[in-house]
Amino acid sequence: MIVPAAALWYNILRMTAIKVDNVYYAYETNEGEESRFAVNGVSLEIEEGSFVAVAGHNGSGKSTLARLFNGLLLPDKGSVTVFGTDTKDEKNIYKVRSSVGMVFQNPDNQMVASVVEDDIAFGPENLGLPREEIIRRVDKALEQVGMSEYRKSTPFRMSGGQKQRLAIAGVLAIRPKVLVLDESTAMLDPKGRREVMDVIHALNKQENMTVVHITHYMEEVLEADRVIVMDEGKIALDDAPRAVFARGEELKKYKLAPPAVTLIAHALARHGADIPCGITGEEELEEAICRSLSKI
Amino acid sequence: MRDVAFGQYYPVSSPIHRLDPRLKIIFTIMYIVTMFFVASYAGYALVLIFLLSVCAISHVPPKAMFKSIKGVIVLLMITAVLNLFFYAGETSVEWTWWIFTVSPEAIDFALKMMFRLILLIMGTTILTFTTGTSELTDAIESLFKPLTLIKIPVRDIALIMSIALRFIPGLIEETDKIMMAQKARGADMDSGNIFKRIKAMLPVIIPVFVSAFRKADELADALDARCYQASPKRTKMKKMRFAWRDLVAFLIFAAFVTLIFLDKYLWGGVDAYIVEAFKGLIG
Repeated sequence: MIVPAAALWYNILRMTAIKVDNVYYAYETNEGEESRFAVNGVSLEIEEGSFVAVAGHNGSGKSTLARLFNGLLLPDKGSVTVFGTDTKDEKNIYKVRSSVGMVFQNPDNQMVASVVEDDIAFGPENLGLPREEIIRRVDKALEQVGMSEYRKSTPFRMSGGQKQRLAIAGVLAIRPKVLVLDESTAMLDPKGRREVMDVIHALNKQENMTVVHITHYMEEVLEADRVIVMDEGKIALDDAPRAVFARGEELKKYKLAPPAVTLIAHALARHGADIPCGITGEEELEEAICRSLSKI
Repeated sequence: MRDVAFGQYYPVSSPIHRLDPRLKIIFTIMYIVTMFFVASYAGYALVLIFLLSVCAISHVPPKAMFKSIKGVIVLLMITAVLNLFFYAGETSVEWTWWIFTVSPEAIDFALKMMFRLILLIMGTTILTFTTGTSELTDAIESLFKPLTLIKIPVRDIALIMSIALRFIPGLIEETDKIMMAQKARGADMDSGNIFKRIKAMLPVIIPVFVSAFRKADELADALDARCYQASPKRTKMKKMRFAWRDLVAFLIFAAFVTLIFLDKYLWGGVDAYIVEAFKGLIG
């Protein structure tokens, strides 16, 4: 009896952070144009503390979905609930927005002030917090993204990775429980992407921050606990990254390219080698090849 | 385009940077007014010395200050030439050639006007060099706070200003990029008469506008995501407080302004005395 009780407690404690229930959303169109649902009947739950990647080609509805999470967009049909609060509830919209922080694609278009600390203070200032608390939050947020020494500098000449880490700090200062990154790595070089990924993984592991990372880089998808593949406004796949990549050919339909290692594994398997599907790491592939060769 | 120094803050620490930004704004306004009362070349020299000392204390390289004039040098030249030939005051001697008439008074007037403009620009850039845009807008917000009584949204206006200032360098960069892209596709922007050139700018202006609107859209989302207008009482991280240093700065500035006014109204321009003294030395 102990085991079910523990499981029960585990489920109760592990709260649902965001619950999306049969949501439809269409952007306004000009008269005469046919309106198309950007999000077309999506239901999903995001657990607190999880790291979820959302993938899909351009126009698949993944960014629209992200904007529904924090009430920037409100669903036409269905409901989005954030820690029990409906995003349609106008009175509580700021409660929703302060619990779901959002980082956007272009770091330059998210900064309000030209000095780092002023920009990070913007969120807590909006919340009307006392001065000492704002300073504490700015300190902490800068520390979390490893940019404390840049407190007084100007972001104008910083690298993309640094700027995006500051944008993350600006959101962290409002103390969200969920961090949504809307293609925040898309404009960065590989080094900048790594910096941002390291920061959000550290937040996820050390502070139990729920992360929803929208991306089209498959290497980043691999690092998530769960991946949601969007296609035509619907959820096409929702599984662990490994299981998703194991589908091989099917991914082409959603215009997603699995990592090279996975492709090689699939090709070898197709030609009769005894290699399991869904290999994602180089060493893993190496081992699988050795094993299959030793069997011959 | 890159020579536009406006809005480029020099993030270093100095006594000038630490001055109360409200005071700096008031100083700048007073400085602009004072510039119209400078009566002599000695006065202009005093202003220049004052500016250079402020510049030295603020750790901003003087080169940066001089660079701010580069953007308006054509305007300065045109003003000087017009003043030189179309001086309307009384003249003692006239040198005439064809339709042009020049007198010593005109030269004097044109020179003084040019010094005035140069020093005006240099002086006002010190404000933007040493004051961050957020400090600047906070100060404006604080100075205009009484206007909230007549329902003017001072806070929102201040934010709009700070964002506008922050986006200037980005938009300039964007314009440069688009110009290069259009040139790479064979657009000719540097030849032909003025009308042709204006027409050639059209393929640059339209994409810049489109990109500016896209930026604005994204920024609006980012503001919303960071709970803009969540609380009716927005708080401030930085508190502006009047310190001893501000009083000292005020006294120095007041002394400077007094000297300029004394020169104009009491001494009637000290240049004549200096010339006399110089003659005395030679003679």
